[in-house]
Amino acid sequence: MRRSLLILFAGVVASAALCFGVYRLTGHLCAVHLARSTDDLDWLRVEFRLGDAEIARIRQLHNGYLPQCQDFCDRIATKKGEVAEALGTGTNITAAVEQKLTEVATLRVQCQVAMLRHFVEVSRVMPPEQGKRYLAEMQRLTLGSHEQMEQRMSGDAAPAHGHH
Amino acid sequence: MKTKNPEPNEARLRGLLRDARPTPPLPPRFQEAVWRRIEKAEAEAPREAASPVAWLDRLVERLLRPRWALAGITALLLVSGVAGLLSGTEAAKQAAQTRYLSAVAPNTIR
Repeated sequence: MRRSLLILFAGVVASAALCFGVYRLTGHLCAVHLARSTDDLDWLRVEFRLGDAEIARIRQLHNGYLPQCQDFCDRIATKKGEVAEALGTGTNITAAVEQKLTEVATLRVQCQVAMLRHFVEVSRVMPPEQGKRYLAEMQRLTLGSHEQMEQRMSGDAAPAHGHH
Repeated sequence: MKTKNPEPNEARLRGLLRDARPTPPLPPRFQEAVWRRIEKAEAEAPREAASPVAWLDRLVERLLRPRWALAGITALLLVSGVAGLLSGTEAAKQAAQTRYLSAVAPNTIR
């Protein structure tokens, strides 16, 4: 009995170790092999099954959008610096701070609008079904985080704000 | 030196050996006792076979047979390899998606 149990236990442990090792090794090798490419558009090509012509057109749009995106990022970063400066070490939210925060928000909105316009343009290059899926996915990924936060604030976290 | 006809000698030898080791008479009701023991062993056998210990022993014995062991290891390797492949593909897909997202939608506006 004891010998059988010992053999069974050793077998189970060895099998689990073998499984785990093979799982991790193949997972790692596969991920490394697939992630070798440094092309930003690889995800689009694979996920939305795009052909070379579509990718070439999207690449054009992508390369045209990137400087615009970079410009917005720089302006937002500068404005955030100004907000921090206006806040200083004081404990009051002055009119100047409010003004700077409004400017940051306006810039973010402008940036989001440009981004969504870009997504729409890209989706139009894709076959209709894939384009629709791409647009929905990008909206979920880029605007979804705000929605989640807002839902948390208005739902679960409501008692913390005193809305009973 | 070989003899040309060994059979008569062998028969004599066997006879001598038989005489030198006389078989004692069987105890009374020997046959009946043997059958009783056989019946008892047969009656106990199913009880033992159904016990968890015997079941475990049989399982281990079966698993350790080369054919079963090889089949088991092959199945484990296959299943874990496929699972690893799927997980690796998913991780690579996630990394590619993150790369695209960080290019077109930096964290500052998400």
